[in-house]
Amino acid sequence: MNRIVQGNLLKIAAGFLFLQALITTLSPAVWVRSLDTSLRWPHWIAFAVWCLAVVIAHRLIFRHIPETDPYLFPAAALLSGWGLLTIWRLDPENGARQTLWLTLALITFLFGLRLPASLDFLKKYKYLLLTGGMLLTGLTLFFGTNPTGYGPRLWLSCCGFYFQPSEPLKLLLVTYLSAYLADRIPIRLRTFPLIYPTLVLIGFAVMLLVFQRDLGTASIFIALYTIIIYLGTGRREVIVTSAFLLILVAAGGYYFVDIIQTRFDSWLNPWADPQGGSYQIVQSLLAVANGGVEGRGPGLGNPGFVPVAISDFIYAAIAEETGLIGTLGLLAAIGLIIARGLRVSLRAPDLFRRLLAAGITAYFGIQSILIIGGNLRFLPLTGVTLPFMSYGGSSLLTSYIALLFLLLISNNMDEEPAQLTNPFPYTSLSALLAVGLFMTALTNGWWSVVRGPDLLTRSDNSRRTVEDRYVKRGSILDRSNTEINITEGNAGGYIRVYQYPALAPVVGYNHPRYGQAGLEATFDDYLRGLKGNPATAVWWDQLVYGTNPPGLDVRLSLDLPLQARADERLADKTGAVILLNAQTGEILVMASHPTFDPNALDEIGPSLKDDSGKPLINRAAMGLYPAGSLLAPFKQMLNINENSGAGELQRVYETFRLDSAPAIQMQVAEGGSTPELEHFHVSPLQVALASSALSNHGMIPAPMIASAVNTPNDGWVVLSAAGMPVEAVQPSAADEAATALTREGDGYWSHIAETTEKDVTVTWYMAGTPPNWQASPLVVVVLLEERNTYLAERIGAELLLSAMNP
Amino acid sequence: MTATIVLALRIAMAIALYVFLGWALLTLWQELRQQANNLARQKHPRLGITFRTGQDQLIQNWYTETEITIGRDRNCHLPVTDEAVSAHHARITFHHGQWWLEDLESTNGTYLNNEKLYVPTVLMTGDEFKCGDTLFGVRIESETSDKISPTKRLDTGGPP
Repeated sequence: MNRIVQGNLLKIAAGFLFLQALITTLSPAVWVRSLDTSLRWPHWIAFAVWCLAVVIAHRLIFRHIPETDPYLFPAAALLSGWGLLTIWRLDPENGARQTLWLTLALITFLFGLRLPASLDFLKKYKYLLLTGGMLLTGLTLFFGTNPTGYGPRLWLSCCGFYFQPSEPLKLLLVTYLSAYLADRIPIRLRTFPLIYPTLVLIGFAVMLLVFQRDLGTASIFIALYTIIIYLGTGRREVIVTSAFLLILVAAGGYYFVDIIQTRFDSWLNPWADPQGGSYQIVQSLLAVANGGVEGRGPGLGNPGFVPVAISDFIYAAIAEETGLIGTLGLLAAIGLIIARGLRVSLRAPDLFRRLLAAGITAYFGIQSILIIGGNLRFLPLTGVTLPFMSYGGSSLLTSYIALLFLLLISNNMDEEPAQLTNPFPYTSLSALLAVGLFMTALTNGWWSVVRGPDLLTRSDNSRRTVEDRYVKRGSILDRSNTEINITEGNAGGYIRVYQYPALAPVVGYNHPRYGQAGLEATFDDYLRGLKGNPATAVWWDQLVYGTNPPGLDVRLSLDLPLQARADERLADKTGAVILLNAQTGEILVMASHPTFDPNALDEIGPSLKDDSGKPLINRAAMGLYPAGSLLAPFKQMLNINENSGAGELQRVYETFRLDSAPAIQMQVAEGGSTPELEHFHVSPLQVALASSALSNHGMIPAPMIASAVNTPNDGWVVLSAAGMPVEAVQPSAADEAATALTREGDGYWSHIAETTEKDVTVTWYMAGTPPNWQASPLVVVVLLEERNTYLAERIGAELLLSAMNP
Repeated sequence: MTATIVLALRIAMAIALYVFLGWALLTLWQELRQQANNLARQKHPRLGITFRTGQDQLIQNWYTETEITIGRDRNCHLPVTDEAVSAHHARITFHHGQWWLEDLESTNGTYLNNEKLYVPTVLMTGDEFKCGDTLFGVRIESETSDKISPTKRLDTGGPP
């Protein structure tokens, strides 16, 4: 019966791992959305090794210990296979190493099966074993290294292999304490003999903490010690003392050890320093959030963004790729091990075995909850491994030896269970572990379902960058579909190409390191395919690819030939030019100089921010300049004379919308004034809109920069303006003012102004079609950050005339 | 196309995980049910206790329970009115295939065959024990040939 149960469970586990390996193989094809790519094969070695080892282990287990618990080994085998394939998917080199370690661990395990007396051996030589373990761990103080070259030096290295003695030491501690208590308790244990191991242990934990900065191992030591003593003696003061001790150790660590302080701070408030101390935890939560409920699928997520994903953060990696569905199953498998382990403990024939089994179960449970909780920000992060799953030979070996002990103990079902005087400690332990698992499951749900969608929009979520490489972003086109910004390359290597670099301050860029700017940012929803695609398409692509559907093209109202003229004329001057359709509000030209080449962002990126010319700013929409006498025509339209009061001026700003931000899908500034400024400040875009009233019979149009978006179902869909046109003044007043501004012989009205504020002079020029113009009314606004009326007029007049007579 | 196949595989993988857990739970439940049935079927020999009441009546009771407490408390299985008997005086339990008598730290002690009882002791037919001033005679049902031996496992499904 047991054999059949275990055999079936192992077969199902093999099926699960086979599917995981198969999906991992196919995953590159899903990434590039075509089979024409190289698939992943090497991890099948791990699967083959797992199958072979498990078949042999299954047979030998039932040859040597036929009465053993049939659930423990399959659950452990499932977890280690799952972990192994995940490690291989993240890092094939370490995957190969871990395969070797698994082989070694299972060989040790099988060798141990042949020694049924091994438990008595442990009991007999408990002092020797514990001392040996402590000595080895002590050696790390002097000869310790870290495979990564930095961080705590907890490993001993030999011949290219690394070994972490504190891992088996946990098991040795459990064994020692069980044997010690089993010997002592029948002869009425007093408090005094308990002090020796306690003192030794505290000294050791403090040493680990102070010299190795390893809070995880230190707290596990104290927790295991407490649990075993409590199970053995049933004295509650043990728990109180240990809780006090744990708080003391944590507080001491917090004040004297930097890394522990960082970890506590990043636990309490990870969002304060997401690039520094809490980088790991924030990235871990992002991975969990990206997994959501259904997960991205093995090989289809980006768990590589989480630091040390193969060991400390393997749970986050699994959460990303299998989702909440997978992790709940994982927690249930751990729960199965815990439940069966406690059952083994309760059925054990003597006190030593009972305490040992309970201690091992507590070791599995506490360590799992500690690191999973750390990954999910339910507990402070401690760098311990997830038993059976994390990368690490020492941990895997220790886990399998501990499992061997459990199986050996469970084989003795023929004997009656030893008497249990006080069941309360055992029920408390199982309740503690159950609550721990339940809380981790709840926290997991919180991050992946409730908070997940919000988290994913964070700018430090690098998955968006990866998505840009694999999913084609929509193009940005001018009004006659000439390309401005496009995406080139193949899936996996898409890059953004800027065909008209001079528009960079306006249209912006989409860059893996510098993020997004300009219209690339404001129209990101369309360009990324989140908006404009049918909701089912977005859902389906999210489900199968974990990305958005291909992006949609956006057509702007800009007219590239006219834009080129403006850029040519502005050349290396500092200023802005806007040409606007005064009726529809469409922006035909928007130039801001100096500009930069976004194709070269990789090289020039770092210096752009500090550039004194401030090329990143779109001067046409975001630059605010003193208006001064530029406002004369607007005052005239409202019949306000030159020496007007503040209230009258306010009426000018309000009437022509100079004191509010234009309603348009781009970053804009709103005009305004502060007491220390002499003049009212406005942006060229605001002036262009206000002056539209002169050419458009007193109406101010709603500004527009994007005219249409190319949707898959309905073709080009026209976008409407974000605001509404408003009537600023009576048509007669506007027409009259325009006529007054028209010079003899000119076919258009124009107005020029120079304003000085704090020794800086700017030149304004505005012009527009006359009121009786038969075609689309147009206005042009030129701003130069220098005193140059000649150039301002020349640029503006020439641009207006070429737009009027195409 | 590949993505759809992979999606199907992902669903199958999730199902495999839960089949694993489901199968484990199913067999655990089956084991539990079998164990419950075994326990329900399990027979223990009935215990007969003969004693003399305060009214000097000789009474013989047969017990099917596996635990019998004796004392002055009315909630005991075998309440006695003897003033020298403590509220919860002694307990007789069936385990390890035997009936055991144990003293519940009573004031006047329990005597088995005129010897004071310190540790739980096995009862046999013909034994006599005394609580306070009341004397009890013990009889154990004889057809105990098929009683469960203490080393026999509870679930019948052993290895092949």
